[in-house]
Amino acid sequence: MKQSIYQLEFKLFFRNSQAWIGIIVLLVTGFAGLYFGKTFIAKQQAVIEKAAVLQKKNTLNNIDHFGKDIGLFFFQNKFSVVNTPDPWSAFANGQRDVNPYLILVTMLGLEGQLYDTDINNPVSLLMGNMDLSFVFIFLFPLVIIAFTYNLLSEQQESGVWSLLKSQTGKSFVIIRRKFSIRVVVIIGVAIILLMVAKFYLNLPVDFTFLAVFALTILYLFFWFAVSFFFISLNKSSNFNASAMVAVWVLICIVIPASLNLFLTRKYPIPEALQNVINQREGYHEKWDMAKEVTMKPFFEHYPQLKKYPFPQKKTFSWFWYYAMQQMGDDQALTSRLAIQHKLESRQHFTQMVALFFPPIQTQLGINKMAGSDLDNHLDFQDAVRKYHEQIRLHFYPNIFLNQGVNDTNIKNYKPEKYIRQQVPSVWINLLSIVLFASILMVISIFNFRKANRF
Amino acid sequence: MPNRIITIAKQTFKAAFNNKGTLALTLLLGLSLCLATYIGWQNYKTQNNQRLHYKELVRKQWLAKPDKHPHRMAHYGYLAFREKHELSFFDFGIESFAGVSIFLEAHKQNTVNFSEAGFSNGMLRFGEISVAMVLQLLVPLLIFFMGYNSISAERESGTLKILLCQDVSWKQLLWGKTLGIIGVCLSIFLPLILLTILLWSSLSHWQISTDSSLRLLMLILSYAVYFFIIAALTVLVSAFARSSKAALITLLACWIFFMVIMPRITQAVGVKIHPSPAKIEFADAIASDISKQGDSHNPDDSHYAAIKDSLLQMYGVDDVKKLPFNYGGYIMAEGEKITSKIYSNHQKTLNKTFEKQNEITTVAGFFNPYLALKHISMALTASDFNTFVDFQNQAEAYRYQLAQKMNKLQIEKISNIAPGENEKPLAISKKNWAEQPDFNYRFGKLHTVISNELLALSALSFWLLTTIFLLQYATRWIKTIS
Repeated sequence: MKQSIYQLEFKLFFRNSQAWIGIIVLLVTGFAGLYFGKTFIAKQQAVIEKAAVLQKKNTLNNIDHFGKDIGLFFFQNKFSVVNTPDPWSAFANGQRDVNPYLILVTMLGLEGQLYDTDINNPVSLLMGNMDLSFVFIFLFPLVIIAFTYNLLSEQQESGVWSLLKSQTGKSFVIIRRKFSIRVVVIIGVAIILLMVAKFYLNLPVDFTFLAVFALTILYLFFWFAVSFFFISLNKSSNFNASAMVAVWVLICIVIPASLNLFLTRKYPIPEALQNVINQREGYHEKWDMAKEVTMKPFFEHYPQLKKYPFPQKKTFSWFWYYAMQQMGDDQALTSRLAIQHKLESRQHFTQMVALFFPPIQTQLGINKMAGSDLDNHLDFQDAVRKYHEQIRLHFYPNIFLNQGVNDTNIKNYKPEKYIRQQVPSVWINLLSIVLFASILMVISIFNFRKANRF
Repeated sequence: MPNRIITIAKQTFKAAFNNKGTLALTLLLGLSLCLATYIGWQNYKTQNNQRLHYKELVRKQWLAKPDKHPHRMAHYGYLAFREKHELSFFDFGIESFAGVSIFLEAHKQNTVNFSEAGFSNGMLRFGEISVAMVLQLLVPLLIFFMGYNSISAERESGTLKILLCQDVSWKQLLWGKTLGIIGVCLSIFLPLILLTILLWSSLSHWQISTDSSLRLLMLILSYAVYFFIIAALTVLVSAFARSSKAALITLLACWIFFMVIMPRITQAVGVKIHPSPAKIEFADAIASDISKQGDSHNPDDSHYAAIKDSLLQMYGVDDVKKLPFNYGGYIMAEGEKITSKIYSNHQKTLNKTFEKQNEITTVAGFFNPYLALKHISMALTASDFNTFVDFQNQAEAYRYQLAQKMNKLQIEKISNIAPGENEKPLAISKKNWAEQPDFNYRFGKLHTVISNELLALSALSFWLLTTIFLLQYATRWIKTIS
């Protein structure tokens, strides 16, 4: 008996053309999101493959042109470091369009090279990427609103409600039944999209999969809780629609946008510009100073390099040149750490704020899992730093002893790949969303109880 | 007859403010607009001051450089900072996604680095609250909430029949309702404009240029037209809809589709149809063109061998060291000329590709007035793509001029005979550095903006004409009784 009522309710729901429109909109935009997200990452992967070919070609070319002068060769020769996209980054492109995923560095000062961007169309960056996470975070809530805003009010407005209420004492049960059908349908669509994503994007079923799965489903439950709350207020359809859309506009656009503006104002980063200046001066001013000014701190930094003979008398030597370059980086250290500090403050602020706003929380959580957030890029920058250090220390002896380029193992060098070591945790993200959804649910149930009593 | 329109408009205006919900929303919007103006202005001030501060520092450091070889100065180079237009506090446009500083040096074209987006942990992607954002996205929402039942409620309560019987024509009704709604919008828009003008003139130290005033005037006009279009469409939807509820749902669905989903999709389609190269591909294409034309770094290059031969012949000497000018400087000037020309051609093609990507969104303005206005607004506040490209071009022109200036100094003032390994390096007086002027970005004039934005402007005009036409002639298809 109970089952058949559910069947009837399902039939009733699917007879409504609005229901089909909602489902089709989600599926179509979902597939579009998957397609564009995958294309975006596929392009990055193609470029990364090309980088290996180009590095080899350019190295041989450089050996041909500058092979006689090892110092000049390493002045020109570039090494690539790649931030390999995680399969999940096709699901959430995040900041991977803004931040470079391929950084080319020579052995010169790193601070002058590390922040070079890729060539981007700023308008595309402004409009944002179309990926599946966008569909989940922005569009699913709207369809949830469309499916549920008139759940109770429509019955009341068409006069069915009083009839129903007079026939059964359990009006809450009817609402719950109608509501749960919509939950099942939406969650069903979400699962279909996640499954398609799993196969289309070749996502491994692992902890990340479970975490993203849990995060998206919980996020949808949060929105169901919001709509349940508005239903429980027992207002008109027009009020519900307006209020729910207003809530969506507030927490998906207005509040994050205002918070971002506040963040930019509270933590401006002039240190970035200062850093460029420090690096540039730190290196260039050394040309006009005694060699001692450069070499003393250089040998303090790298005592192991003291054993190589420094040509004190020569007006110019590559030894001196590379040491001067190092001075640029060393003198930019404080400003570099200041940038890092500011970014950490920004990150901290965002995390605190995100606790109160599930859309921000979900977006950040998914980006984090997908390895397409700022943290991932900063880790990538650190990997570039390490690699740059390693390369320099490896080739310095060859340069300082003025050996031939062909005596080095430069031809074996391939692009260095950065792959993140640990998968971040999203427990906090999950927890805060669960908390909000639960609070809203409890209030709504309380509202219904109160309404029923009268 | 116009009197009647005004009466209806007045009535609508009063009714809107009698509604507590509308009043609250209007006040809220007004408040957030004031906040957006204030924060936008503060942001503009801090960021621009930062950039000006470093600009001055860079100039001071350049002038303070001691006597040295001009080629060292060419490598020391210059740092250029992208200044914000005084009107950019109104609309942030691509500001946060475009780089701020560019290092200009000999032989090498660098990217514009340090965009705000690069420092963002993703929250930026939700948008930025600016005056333009509130006016473009939220005011239409207010108009929808005010106007969705403007006609349908009259129909539902039965007053519509009475109105039409009392010799009020459909046309008057539609125009009256539209104007009434616009009246409400203007009651928050007009004080805001006054505030904007006040803020902005204090920003520019009460010295307002004609060009900027004209820009602002056009901006105000465009937004007024936009509000008119939205209000007219709202009233029309309300007139055609079966019920108030249907009208509200239609309008909200349109808002979501046209303002949230469509911009992303059109841009993604544009990027897909007109793919742009990655930086390494771009650099590789330039390098291969250079090696075809003449690579000064290649010792066996035929182009430079020919130059050397002709120089030796012309001056009747057998060694470049005997030439009466600095041969190295001459070759570098030639190299700079070739490479920068090739680079500029590639950059032009790249910008064309970007323009084509963006064009899809601009053309979509004919289907979506929001996109048309967005483009116009960004262009008028100089926070658009074209201004960014213009900055890049001016910076590159400055870089080229600087490199060639240093090459010229080397050709004329540096001995052609290189000093020995242990001798002092050749140098020229530091007085020469002042000859290189500071980099100052000059914003384009309004007429270039207009010619760049013809497509978007015609899209907005198209919408204006369409809505006027519909208000005038759509009445014959509207049903009085549902």
